[in-house]
Amino acid sequence: MKPKALLSKVGLWSATAAASAALVIGIAPITAKALNIPTEVTEDGKNTYKKFCSACHGEEGKGDGPVARSMLPKPRDFTRGAYKFRTTPSGSLPTDEDIYRTISYGVPNSTMIPWDILTEQQRASVIPVLKSFSEAFEVRKPEAPVAVGLEVRPTEKTVAEGKKIYEEKLECWKCHGVEGRGDGPSAAEQEDDFGFPIKPFDFTTGKFKGGNSSRDVYLRFTTGLNGTPMPSFAKELTDEQRWCLTHYVISLIKPEETSK
Amino acid sequence: MKQLLFLCALFGFLSWNVISSEDTLADNYAEVEVKDGGTVVGNVKYMGDLTTLSLNLYADFELPETSKTATEKLTVSMINHGIKYAIVSITDITRGKKKAIPAIHPIIDQQRNNFIPHVTAIPAGTTIDILNGDEELHTVHTSTIKNQPFNLGTTYKQRISKTFEYPETIKLTCDLHKKSYAWVVVLDNPYFDITDRNGYFEICDIPPGTYKFQVWHEELGKLEKEVKINPKELSNIEFVYSQY
Ligand code: HEC
Ligand code: HEC
Repeated sequence: MKPKALLSKVGLWSATAAASAALVIGIAPITAKALNIPTEVTEDGKNTYKKFCSACHGEEGKGDGPVARSMLPKPRDFTRGAYKFRTTPSGSLPTDEDIYRTISYGVPNSTMIPWDILTEQQRASVIPVLKSFSEAFEVRKPEAPVAVGLEVRPTEKTVAEGKKIYEEKLECWKCHGVEGRGDGPSAAEQEDDFGFPIKPFDFTTGKFKGGNSSRDVYLRFTTGLNGTPMPSFAKELTDEQRWCLTHYVISLIKPEETSK
Repeated sequence: MKQLLFLCALFGFLSWNVISSEDTLADNYAEVEVKDGGTVVGNVKYMGDLTTLSLNLYADFELPETSKTATEKLTVSMINHGIKYAIVSITDITRGKKKAIPAIHPIIDQQRNNFIPHVTAIPAGTTIDILNGDEELHTVHTSTIKNQPFNLGTTYKQRISKTFEYPETIKLTCDLHKKSYAWVVVLDNPYFDITDRNGYFEICDIPPGTYKFQVWHEELGKLEKEVKINPKELSNIEFVYSQY
């Protein structure tokens, strides 16, 4: 029992650490807990959605707004309840905090901007509106967020261990390429659940869609990106191995590429 | 009370130890005791021209020599034109025998880059174990809405248990081996069977009455037939697909 309690405390601590790190680099902090996220659709939420989101995500959340046509990646179609950036296990619905985080942080490398022009309350108000577009939220509940253990320090040894996992055990290179450029042998044939082509992420760019902190990277391959070919590797690794893999993935960032 | 029932509806090679079917779903099927039920046996056939099928013997797939495959999707017996992996079910039954949830989880194994078996039919609430029997990475990916979807990377000997709560026809795919996939057909009542390699099926303990029988095949689609079931009688039905 004891180690578990320790783990969850540390988990909490690293969450706050991630949040304050996010603050430092100018990303909206995860303050959803303090925020009041309405449980029902409100007029305020409907208006905010209509005014700021529907042009891309569509009146009914189908991702088919007037400006969405030629866009890739496509604005999310909310009707399936498939959210990429979550703290919850593969296939699970996201928590309200996950959705709030994406709205505030945006999705780098896409037209989804960080919505910091909206007040925190406005961002929170659209959450029930997004959820109301999918039947999934009526029949299922989000599962509990996955446990994130104590971070292992990035050292030569842990990065080397991560490299082994990337190249041998889990064969990430099949999609992401040996150098992490998103050009592995299976990369070209990838499609998302909506039938649109999708590229495995190019790690060298360093602009992670789900956030750049080590905790973010850890969460992405642990939970997977719902609605995409990016699977969850929840059952395959120990917590320590996850951190090793995280550090190796981060080591693939090429500084000269990120400044582009 | 724990009973050992022979679950005639499934596969025909296993008898499952039936646990009390604790129904978590509010559905429109009521379990009652069926004393004088009738039985349906039958055959699902493809009577189109076998020679016009573009034959593509699936290289990694072991098939009995008496069967011909036109792609992995359609396997036709050369002896009697029977079709393998068609699912026959009663679609409009609202009361009948216990919905026996198999206590031993049916298995879907990724072997030599294929999902085996290719088609599985289960009553809602069943847990399936998905295995990776290959010494390389596979993914197993579904995109359902009601049943919680999943997409998991799995390595050699991994075993994943997934419970399917809602009736739905679900495709399992592997994003690293785009050619292979499997179907999991989840049904809301226990009156169904999946055809064997000669196209035979059997459904038993059906309360007397008239019902709609349906056959589904992934390539050939659906056919329907109304059948009257008499107490303790055996009825014979045949479904014939004529066109591919
Ligand atoms: C200019 C177009 C555009 C507008 C306007 C826009 N979005 Fe998006 N949004 C996108 C695109 C494109 C994506 C998909 C990015 C990807 O998958 O890489 C996306 C993705 C999302 C996601 C997906 C999160 C996930 O985990 O999968 C959420 C939530 C979201 N948007 C919410 C909003 C909200 C709320 C608004 C209004 C305040 C909004 N968006 C306005 C283009 C837009
Ligand atoms: C079947 C192909 C496939 C495999 C195997 C795969 N990925 Fe991915 N991965 C993808 C795709 C596609 C995306 C991009 C999804 C998107 O842009 O929405 C992605 C995205 C990611 C992201 C998110 C980046 C971001 O923008 O935040 C991370 C992290 C990641 N992958 C890590 C890994 C690791 C680590 C492994 C091996 C353990 C791995 N992936 C294996 C296909 C794959």
